[in-house]
Order: sequence, then structure tokens, then C-alpha cells
Amino acid sequence: MKALVVNYGVGNIFSIASALRKVGFEVVVDSRVGSNYDLIVFPGVGNFASVSRFVKLNADVLNDVMGVGIPFLGICIGMHIMLEYGFEGGLNRGLGWFKGFADKIRADVKLPHIGWDKVYTKNTDDFEFLNGQYVYFMHSYIAYNTEGYEVFGYYGVEFPALLRKGTIVGTQFHPEKSSKVGIKFLSSLTSWLRC
Amino acid sequence: MIAKRIIPCLDVRDGRVVKGVRFTDLKDKGDPVELASRYEDEGADEIVFLDITASIEGRRTLFEVVKNTASVLSIPLTVGGGLRTLNDVSYALSSGADKVSINTAAVEDEKLIRNASTEFGSQSIVVAIDAKRIADKYLVYTRSGTYITDLEVVSWAKTVEGLGAGEILLTSIDMDGTRLGYDIELTKAVSESVKIPVIASGGAGDLRHFYELFSICNVDAALAAGVFHDGIIRIYELKTYLKNLGIEVRL
Repeated sequence: MKALVVNYGVGNIFSIASALRKVGFEVVVDSRVGSNYDLIVFPGVGNFASVSRFVKLNADVLNDVMGVGIPFLGICIGMHIMLEYGFEGGLNRGLGWFKGFADKIRADVKLPHIGWDKVYTKNTDDFEFLNGQYVYFMHSYIAYNTEGYEVFGYYGVEFPALLRKGTIVGTQFHPEKSSKVGIKFLSSLTSWLRC
Repeated sequence: MIAKRIIPCLDVRDGRVVKGVRFTDLKDKGDPVELASRYEDEGADEIVFLDITASIEGRRTLFEVVKNTASVLSIPLTVGGGLRTLNDVSYALSSGADKVSINTAAVEDEKLIRNASTEFGSQSIVVAIDAKRIADKYLVYTRSGTYITDLEVVSWAKTVEGLGAGEILLTSIDMDGTRLGYDIELTKAVSESVKIPVIASGGAGDLRHFYELFSICNVDAALAAGVFHDGIIRIYELKTYLKNLGIEVRL
């Protein structure tokens, strides 16, 4: 099993690479996307504007690789760039793989939302083990207007904690920082993705 | 509801964990990699790693130790000490830090907070504030507590929030290492004046001190070092104790 951790050029990609190795992946960190991987990961680092610049430059190859059925995992901002657009650092276009947009949490709560918070599941078989578990969040933006979700959290508002469409998965939480639960999630992904 | 976090702090000098009283009289407390992974097993919610002499000696953080520590952890790691430029921040993050903590450089160059939070996101930028009571005011200290500024703590906290800091790590120099309890008055004043998460630090000596902190102040996390390193408080027992008293923690 070979995973690509996409290097946008900013932030900590060390943690997600270590976590993927722990669950059995051979990990390549690169900014060049190709179809010779079993999983491609958009790490949850940086800000939307800078990550969006990367996406804009690579949109064609990303869409092509996604089109041939290579599984993707987007974490936090890595999930947000799979939406249609986002408002972090001004209006930026995303890949549009999921319906919806990323915007600041619209509630009177401390931001960023940083720390361990519980997630809950609905209508899911693959991710039922996440129900009622604490996972780690560090974000101010969430996905709005999505087409439904199987895992969600509450922080002033209810928000999607996990989006899925075919073999594309996005998580608002950081599995690589969520201790045993996060490792279990990444490990479940390997069997679920059949890669 | 979001859980209150318990965060062991590893003050590191020359690749070893050390701990002093009121920022001086340092004693060896062990290997950072071993301690960090033991704390994760015991239920720590995050680890903070401070290269405590870096500001004084103008030394860069020991990034190799950061890498080794980060590679055994699957909880967040914050790294601070001697980070002075955007490049330092970038290097710390690419070495495996999930967040960076900036203290002296934030005071000396406010633009650093704004630039770092714009580039890496507010959620990765912690501003550390070392506070000491002088007469009826709390003033900000820099350079590992050796240099006094004319900044008042609450107004500085609001300033860094406006500049894009994602969290404040608030340390009471007066209480640090004393084991007499957190500085409730200081912590309450800061946590009520900002709308970003606040981590309280300095003075933990007893389980009761954590309960006092969380029940009186609207803080998000409690940081401690010596009581954990010396085995006086075990993290799992602390969290069980807090949970029994109705404080939400991750167990």
C-alpha cells in the first residue's frame, strides 16, 4: 500500500506521514500527483488561500486522478478544498468534489475550535466506531450546505465531521492527532478502501 | 462539549527535560521522547515542548529532538523557544510541530504573529505570555522571564488575539514551580477578556488546583510540568478526579 501525502509547501506533514506509516502505508511526500498510489492525502495544514493556489495549479491532474478511481482523504482544510468554494482568506474556488462551501463557524463560541470534542454518527456502517468518541479539532471554518454526512459534531452549531462520496473521504477532525481513535480510523480506511 | 485539556510541558535544554523553580535552578527530569510517549499513554491531551534556553542564547530549537518526539506521538505537539522568524516557524512545523508557541519574538515584532497566522492558519499559532505581578499590575516578561516589558497582560492578550493568535499560553512567573496553585486572578482576567482558547500554566501542585482552575476560570486547558515529571500527579488519576467532579475531560 502506497500513500501520497500532498505537499502544498507549508505546514506539518510529518504527523500525517508518521500516522499513515503506523497503519502500514509506504508514504511518499510530494507535490506531484499521480495515479500510482493507493491513497492520496490532502493534509490539514496551511490556510485556504495558499492551499487553493496549489489546487488551482494542479486542478486538471487532480480531477483526472480522482476520475480513474484513486481514493482521496482530505483532512480539515484538505477537506475544505474538496468543496465548491471557501471564504478563508477571501473567496477561493475549491475542487467541487463535494457540494457546499467552507465558512467561519457562525456561532458565538471561542474560535479557533481547538481541542478534543465528541463526534456522533448517523446512517453509517463503516464509521460507526466513531460514535461518541473524542477526536482532535483545530479549525475556525466548517463545511456548509453539504449533501448530508455520516459523522458530525457540535460547536455552537452542528457541523459535518466526515464527508464521503464514493472513494473520496474528508474529515474535519485530524485523525493523525486523535491518538488511538485516529489510528483506528486510518486503519479502517485501509480495509474500507480495499487498497 | 469540548473537553478541558491536560497538557504536560517538557522544558528542554540541550536535548534533556529540565525543570526549575520560578524559571531558575534547573534539574534534569529525563529524556523528552520517552516522557512524551509515556504521557500520551497516560492520557495527556497534547504535549508542549519548550526549548527554554533558546531565547537567552539565541539558539534555534533542537529540531532533531522535535522530530524524534513528534514521530512517537499521535496527539498534538506544540513547540516553542527561540522561534524568531517566519522561517523558524516554518521549520518547526515541518519538523513535526502541530503548533508553535511564540513569546519574545511576538513582543519584539508583532508582525510575526500576523504573518505566521496568515501563512499557517491561526490554529497553529500560540502566543505564550509570561506574566508577573508588579504592584497592582500584571506585566509581560520575555526572554525566559529575565526581561520586563511595559506591556500589561490583559491588553497584550487582546492585541495578540487581534493579530491572529489562535491560543494564549498564559504562565504565571510568580507561581511557576511553587506547587501552590494556578494564579486564578490572572487567569480569570485574561480568559474573560479574549475569545480564543487560553491555556493556564504555572503553580500546579495538587489535584485540587486543577479543579479550582477549571471551575472558576473559563480556560480550555491546564499545563503543568514538575508534578507530572516527578510522578506526584498521574494524568489518568487527575482526569478521573476531574470527571467525578463534573469537569468534562477525555478519558
